[in-house]
Amino acid sequence: MLEWLLGDDVGMARIQQHFSQMIEDGRHVFDAACNTVLGGTDPGVVREDLHKTDQRINRLEQQIRRELVVHMTVREKAEIGTCLKFMSLVKDAERIGDYGKNIFDMGQECRDFVGDPMSADLIAVKDHVSRMLAKMRNLFESQSTEQARRFVDEAHAILRHCDERVSELVRDASLSRRPVVAALLYRYVKRVMAHAMNIVTSILVPLDKLDYLDEDDGDRV
Amino acid sequence: MSAAGSPGTGRTVHPGVRLTLLLVLLYGFLVAIGLMDGAFKLLGEEHAGGLFQGVTNPFAGLAVGILATVLVQSSSVTTSTIVALCGSGQLQLELAVPMIMGANIGTTVTNTLVSVGSVRRSVEFRRAFACATVHDVFNFCSVAVLLPLELATGYLRHTAVWLADHLHHLGSGGGTFNSPIKVAVKAGSKAITGVLGGLGLEGGYLAAALLVLAIALIFACLMLITKNMRVLLVARIEAAMNEVLGRSGLLAIAVGIAITVAVQSSSITTSLLVPLCAAGVLRLENAYPITLGANIGTTVTAILASLAAEGSTGLAIALVHLLFNVSGTLLFFPIPALRRIPIRSARRLAVLAVENKFVLVAYLSAIFVLLPILGILVFR
Repeated sequence: MLEWLLGDDVGMARIQQHFSQMIEDGRHVFDAACNTVLGGTDPGVVREDLHKTDQRINRLEQQIRRELVVHMTVREKAEIGTCLKFMSLVKDAERIGDYGKNIFDMGQECRDFVGDPMSADLIAVKDHVSRMLAKMRNLFESQSTEQARRFVDEAHAILRHCDERVSELVRDASLSRRPVVAALLYRYVKRVMAHAMNIVTSILVPLDKLDYLDEDDGDRV
Repeated sequence: MSAAGSPGTGRTVHPGVRLTLLLVLLYGFLVAIGLMDGAFKLLGEEHAGGLFQGVTNPFAGLAVGILATVLVQSSSVTTSTIVALCGSGQLQLELAVPMIMGANIGTTVTNTLVSVGSVRRSVEFRRAFACATVHDVFNFCSVAVLLPLELATGYLRHTAVWLADHLHHLGSGGGTFNSPIKVAVKAGSKAITGVLGGLGLEGGYLAAALLVLAIALIFACLMLITKNMRVLLVARIEAAMNEVLGRSGLLAIAVGIAITVAVQSSSITTSLLVPLCAAGVLRLENAYPITLGANIGTTVTAILASLAAEGSTGLAIALVHLLFNVSGTLLFFPIPALRRIPIRSARRLAVLAVENKFVLVAYLSAIFVLLPILGILVFR
């Protein structure tokens, strides 16, 4: 009776649940979009699903923001820092879905990229990023700092790899239109990874250093 | 950021302990009403009447209600005092009705002051001020329609008396049954009066001491009840607010009633809406019914206070408070054209306040201070 009267204390848990759903949806958009460019999936088959998932991501972002405002208004002792972190991280999670959409748009335009010699490396990178997106969700829930550091190191390696490949393609004058596709793909995949990394760095750095792991003095971690 | 590790839930004290404390505070509140009742009786008709001398005019009564509530920053304290006065027979029901209406207006100053917090950010302030003043405008509209109607027909008073008599009769089963609450409250107030009497206080001094003690006790109990209930029910309140965002209508009214009854303060409910509107997550159209719910919910304090008052007059004035707010809601909510009056007026007022900050200062000082003082001076 008493428990019923008081209700479940789900304030932040509900927000975290919605955030996890955003990450899950972002990964889904990323995978499905990459498959249209690299795996030959017919864009028409996934278009509606991607559109709906992207809309859900946007709705979740807005819902989380509203819930955060309510949480901070209602609670006299609201976890202000945590709320502000979420306010920033939902943007990263939303951007992952956005880049996935950009990849899908490219997949619609460049149906002939499937089987390109450059696609082998891109598929490997894409699979790696997709696995890391799944890992990110679990990591965010467990808040393990040790695993977060390993994640960030791994993410840095992928970012470097994407940068190197873009530089190589830009310098290679012998190539035609397809390098543009590959360069953009590397660019988008890199951004997806970078946003995922931003989310994970929130486990490691204080609020003011969100997105700036390299600049962190380490004292406050 | 794990949910399991979320701090700040505010439940460091066991809920069972808080609930027990709540019952003690509720008892303290009722004893305070009993003490006030006793104080007024001791003062006698001559002196107690003196407190309200000149308040025979309904407009003066309205002004007194506004000013008293602004001064104590709590309509619950004002309405409880009015219930005690009516219960002790020192204030006529007819004169108390406009005071109750005034208390309804006066209580809106709190959330209006809350909205001033965002005065430097014009967009936020416009939304916040509109959210706060929609409560004011609704109350002005209700008073503008219902006070003349009440003066002409006495419909609030007659309905409340009829209801109170029936409820009183029902409670006593038509016999001489003494409610256990009243017995317990009487025992408490008698004990305290006995202690003060034992200190050598008597007559007017004893009455004054009882009155001061009663007011202090009402303040303390209501404040602690509000604080405790807010901590106890924070999860429910948060869930309800999340549920009601973007919704309008009966659910929003129900949420407004439920939160206000739970925390025993309409100011808490309406003040929660101000930052939500300022941030733009709650639209004025959705905040309005929650405000109406808060207006209805706050009447439960006077009803609770009437449990400690003698006879049925205390209950009757508490029911006037309830009927007034229900009537206002029925007038200015279901019909879209009438519903738009408070909403549009509040929006317009907010735009004016943003354009010229003098409007804000003039509004606050005129409505809540100068006009009530002028009303008392002119109509007494």
